[in-house]
Amino acid sequence: MLVLLRISVRQLASRSRLILILLLALLPVGLATLVSATLNEDSTSNGEFISTLLDGLLIAGILPIVTMVLATASFGNELEDRTLSYIVLKPVSRWLIVLPKLLASIIVGGLVLIASGIVTTLLGASSLGAVLLVLDGNLQAALAVGLALLAGVVTYAAIFTWAGLVSTRAIAFALVYVFLWEGLISSFLGGVRYLSVRGYTLSILHGLDDKSFEPLGERVIEFPAALVGAAVTTAVFFWLTVRRLRRMDIP
Amino acid sequence: MTQANHNQEDTLMATPIDVRSVSKWFGNIVAVNDVSLQVNPGITGLLGPNGAGKTTLLHMIAGLARPSEGEVELVGEPVRDNPQLYHRVGFMSEHEAVYGFLTGREFVELAAQLYGLEPLSPPVDRAIELVGLTDAQSRTLSTYSRGMRQRMRLAASLVHDPEVLLLDEPLNGTDPRQRIEFQNLMRKLASEGRTILISSHILEEVELLAGSILLMVSGKLAASGDFRAIRAKLDERPYKVRIVSSDSRAMAAALVRLDAVDSVSINAEGVVDIMTRNVSDLQRSVPRLAQKQHIRLLRVEPLDESLESVFSYLVER
Repeated sequence: MLVLLRISVRQLASRSRLILILLLALLPVGLATLVSATLNEDSTSNGEFISTLLDGLLIAGILPIVTMVLATASFGNELEDRTLSYIVLKPVSRWLIVLPKLLASIIVGGLVLIASGIVTTLLGASSLGAVLLVLDGNLQAALAVGLALLAGVVTYAAIFTWAGLVSTRAIAFALVYVFLWEGLISSFLGGVRYLSVRGYTLSILHGLDDKSFEPLGERVIEFPAALVGAAVTTAVFFWLTVRRLRRMDIP
Repeated sequence: MTQANHNQEDTLMATPIDVRSVSKWFGNIVAVNDVSLQVNPGITGLLGPNGAGKTTLLHMIAGLARPSEGEVELVGEPVRDNPQLYHRVGFMSEHEAVYGFLTGREFVELAAQLYGLEPLSPPVDRAIELVGLTDAQSRTLSTYSRGMRQRMRLAASLVHDPEVLLLDEPLNGTDPRQRIEFQNLMRKLASEGRTILISSHILEEVELLAGSILLMVSGKLAASGDFRAIRAKLDERPYKVRIVSSDSRAMAAALVRLDAVDSVSINAEGVVDIMTRNVSDLQRSVPRLAQKQHIRLLRVEPLDESLESVFSYLVER
C-alpha cells in the first residue's frame, strides 16, 4: 500500500495544483493578519472572527474547495489519462487501492489546511481583545481548529474521492454540493447540520474547545453526534468507492 | 503440494483464455456481439479494423470491463472480482499514457511491487533487459520516445513472468528494428509455453507474429484459425480496379475477353471499373492489351485496398 500512497501523493502534488491550494490556504492567513493589525480590542470581534474567517471562509469555503481539488483528481486524473489500469490489473484488493488514494488527498490537503487553520487562529486570536478572550491559551483553540479541519478533510475527501470515480464532472458535482447543500440549505434548515460536513466540522471544533468557540454554540450539533456523523459518512463513501471500483469499467 | 504447483497443474488443464458468448453494449451501440473463443498457448493475433471491438473484447478478457452478457475465464478462473488472478496475467493497454514523473525503472518497480515480487531487483533487471532499455532505465518516462515508452510498458506488463499476456496494439509507435526485436521477444516468450494474445489492425504486423488469428469485424468474430488459411481466403477475394484510358469503350471491350476479369462496367465519363480475382494476371495483361489496341493508359488504380474492405469481404463470405 505504501507504494501506492507514494505514487498517489506525487500525482496529486503537481506544481499547478500545489500553487492553487497554497494560494487558497494563504487567503485566511492573510485576512487574519489584516484583522490582527486593524481590529480594535473589542469583545465582539471574537464572534466576528470565528463566524467570518473560521467558519465562513475557512471551513465553509477553503476546506471543501481544497479537498475537492485534490480528492476528485485522485481517481479522476487516472481515469482521464487512462493510467488506472496500471493499478487495478494487479493482485491487490480494491480497498487497498482506494485507501492510499484517499490518504494521499488527506495528507496533502490536511497538511496545508491544518497549517492554514492553526496560523489563522493564532493570528486572529492574538488580536481579540487585550484579555485574549479566545484563550487562556491560543494554542488550545488552534489545536481544536487543526483537529476539526482534519475531520473535515477526511470526510470531504471520502465524498469527493468517490465523486471522482463516479463522474467525469466531479468538480461540478462537488461545487453544487458544497455551495447548495452545505452553504445554502444547511443555513436555513437546522436538521441538515446532522447531514453536513460543515456542520460536523464546526461541531467538532466547538466540542473540542467550547469556551473559545462559544459563539458557535447555537449552530452546532452534539459533539458525539458530529464525531459519529463524520465517521459514518467517511466509512459509507469509502465503501461506495470500493464498490464502484469493483463494478465499473476501467477505460 | 505448493501453491505454485497447484497453479501449474490448473494451467495445464484449463484453457488459458476462454470467452463464452460475450457481448458488450453501450446504450444502443453493440461493441461486441456474442463472441465465443478459446486461446491456447502460443501467439494469437486479434485482428480487425479500427472500431471492430478488439479493445473492448480485450478489456473484457483482462477484466477491465464487465461483459453485458457472457463470461470470461482465464486459466480456469473468472476474471472479474478476482484480483489474485493478476499474478498470472499481464496486460498492456493501447493507451500510451504513463506516470511521466517516474523513471523507466521506477515504473517497472511499481508494477513489480504491486505484483508482490520479492526480492525486487532480479525480475525488474530481467524485464528491462528483455526490452533492451537497461541504458535508459534511469531517465524519466517523460523523456522517452514513443517506442521506448511502449517497450518499458511491455517490461512492466511481463515483470512477473505471467502465463497469459494480453497486448493491445503493442507495436504502435515502434520502428522497424524494434518490431523485429519485439517479434523475437514474443516468439521466445511463446516458446516457453505462454499464451500471448496480441491485437492489431495491421494485417502484415499480425502475419509476421501469429500462427493463428481471431478476426473481428463490427463486433463479431468473423473468422478464426490458422493465419495462412485466412490469408488464402483473402487472396481469392475480387479486387476492384479502375482504368482510365484514351479509348474507354475499346478498352472495356478488350478487357471483357480477359480470363482474369470477372466483370466490366463503364460510366458516362468513360471510366472503366473492373472486378478481378487475379490481380497479377491483370497486371501483366492490361499493358499488353492497350499496346495491341493502340490505346493509351492514363490511369490504373486499385479501388478498395483499405483494410476495412478486406475484412468486410471475409465477413460477407
